[in-house]
Amino acid sequence: MANWKVTLLRPDEEHGFSSFQDGVFLLFFFPGWWFLMSYKDYIKWERMPSTWCPGCGIGIVLKYAAMAIDELKIPKEDVVVVSGIGCSGRSAGYFDVESLHGLHGRALAMAEGVKRGNRKLKVVVISGDGDLLGIGGNHLLHTSRRNVEMCVICINNEIYGMTGGQMSPTTKKGTVTLTSPEGSPYNPVNAQGLITSNKDHFYARSSVFHLNHLKKSIQEGISRGGFSFIEVISYCIENNGRRLGFKDAPEMLDLIRKNYKVNPSPAGKLGDLELGIVKT
Amino acid sequence: MKELLMGNHAVALGALKAGMTFFAGYPITPASEIMHFLANKGIEFVHTEDEIAAANMIVGSSLSGRKSMTSTSGPGMSLMQEAIGLGHMMEVPMVIVNVQRVGPSTGMPTLPAQGDILQAKHGSHGDYTQIVFYPNSVEECYRYAIEAFNASEESRSPVIFLMDGFVGHLMETVDLDAIPCAIVPRTIPGLGGGNRHFTGLLSKNGIPCTMNSDYYREWFQKMKSKATSVSDRYNFFEYLRGDDAKTLIIAFGIVSRVVLPLIGKYSLFRPIRMFPVLEKELKEIASGYERIIVVEMNDGQYKGEIERVLKRDVEGISLIGGDLDPTVVGEKIEGLSNGKLESYPTEAR
Repeated sequence: MANWKVTLLRPDEEHGFSSFQDGVFLLFFFPGWWFLMSYKDYIKWERMPSTWCPGCGIGIVLKYAAMAIDELKIPKEDVVVVSGIGCSGRSAGYFDVESLHGLHGRALAMAEGVKRGNRKLKVVVISGDGDLLGIGGNHLLHTSRRNVEMCVICINNEIYGMTGGQMSPTTKKGTVTLTSPEGSPYNPVNAQGLITSNKDHFYARSSVFHLNHLKKSIQEGISRGGFSFIEVISYCIENNGRRLGFKDAPEMLDLIRKNYKVNPSPAGKLGDLELGIVKT
Repeated sequence: MKELLMGNHAVALGALKAGMTFFAGYPITPASEIMHFLANKGIEFVHTEDEIAAANMIVGSSLSGRKSMTSTSGPGMSLMQEAIGLGHMMEVPMVIVNVQRVGPSTGMPTLPAQGDILQAKHGSHGDYTQIVFYPNSVEECYRYAIEAFNASEESRSPVIFLMDGFVGHLMETVDLDAIPCAIVPRTIPGLGGGNRHFTGLLSKNGIPCTMNSDYYREWFQKMKSKATSVSDRYNFFEYLRGDDAKTLIIAFGIVSRVVLPLIGKYSLFRPIRMFPVLEKELKEIASGYERIIVVEMNDGQYKGEIERVLKRDVEGISLIGGDLDPTVVGEKIEGLSNGKLESYPTEAR
């Protein structure tokens, strides 16, 4: 139930502090039953600790997706979370709503079936870069073209983490992985270009460091009423970072802070190191 | 009212009668007519980007509360196999129609075959018990499409509905209103309201338990006995007894229509529920015959199943290549009975 903890910290522009939102603010400014709910009600706490490695970025997305849904006041019975295979594919099972954990790459096809089967449901897809952009690339192309209403959160850690650290479609050129010992010879897939090539589109890039921006992107994506794609820059310390010479997770997180900057009103498309929302 | 109908259309009508409200599919010869027919019938209809999407989409729509179906042929069926396994793991009722054509690969797209019999049973990886139906007429396409939906609802598992290019494109006059049918309503509540977790992983009450071998065995037995007990209520077959016949012909699909003129001199056993194999009925009927000949449009796929069940020598005639000439089929059976042909000719005629 409610999180009664009161924090005196105010969220700044880019980095949110979660307990503020579900504490005093909601209690005093939003009358009605809703103040009894918090993002915590959307998560199966009995399943914690999660399966993810210490320091992983996926848990942050799990929490902020739950917060976004909670703040949009979508009742639990109207939410369905769908995921594919991989580390991030496990996230569906931690939501305390109806959830589906399907086949590798096919999360979008299954999510479209759910949405078309019952239009009342709000479908949120949480999956990884390998699942959505690699094996499931064809479905991404066509589900986004058909503009089926769903919010797709693509956790992009630039690696196949669950299978031990192989090159993924988003691995940057030159990165050493298990399947590219000399450094990846290819340029990464351009998710923004793929999504924005549709006449009607919603593409957002956010990160697991820029938390308020992440939450805002997810909220806009869910309430758009069409297909929305949110690429979340994340990281993998255990199966990628250590091989690349990072000591720990905060060091990788800090790199995201240093590299990526939020562009509140992008003109046309986002630059390579910009975060923001591109929509029609 | 009597009307002239195509087998593919009859399947679609049967599915609509059974309460199907979601269809996803990808065009493929010789199954496309099912799609064409359903495109404007007021149901949720999706022409997907490929068969993989179609199969996964009906898993999702079935879970969200609609009776769902897809239709395809050999190459598409191969793409759908992973989703069929998912359907068994998640216990999703759904129907997959496979109008068979000559394979492997693209093969001979416009010619019929029965080469996907064992794929229907064993196509997806891992162990599972698949229920498979195979009609041989337009009327049966309608009737058993309904039964396929009923069986899938009762067993809460995917059901495969086999046809062949001949049956799919066969035109016959039928009176659909005169066909009696009972319809099983939905057996699982649609998505929304609970906190169920449907996963392709082995799971216990929605929580994955992927390292528990004991639980796997327990789960597998439960799934197997569920499928077997449900399929026992759908033990459809046809047995035509020839007077003083010493030889039993086993045939299904269009081949069972082609061998009909020979029945009298021979007897015919035609399984409609192909899998699980009708073991009890088959043992009982076959015990009265000296010889058993399985005639099928493949390289002896069902013959192996019959041998496994009866544990005795079974002769086979394989009519491969996609053409089906009643005279030639008759000659082959007669020749086999007179000992003129090799017992197992696989060469093209």
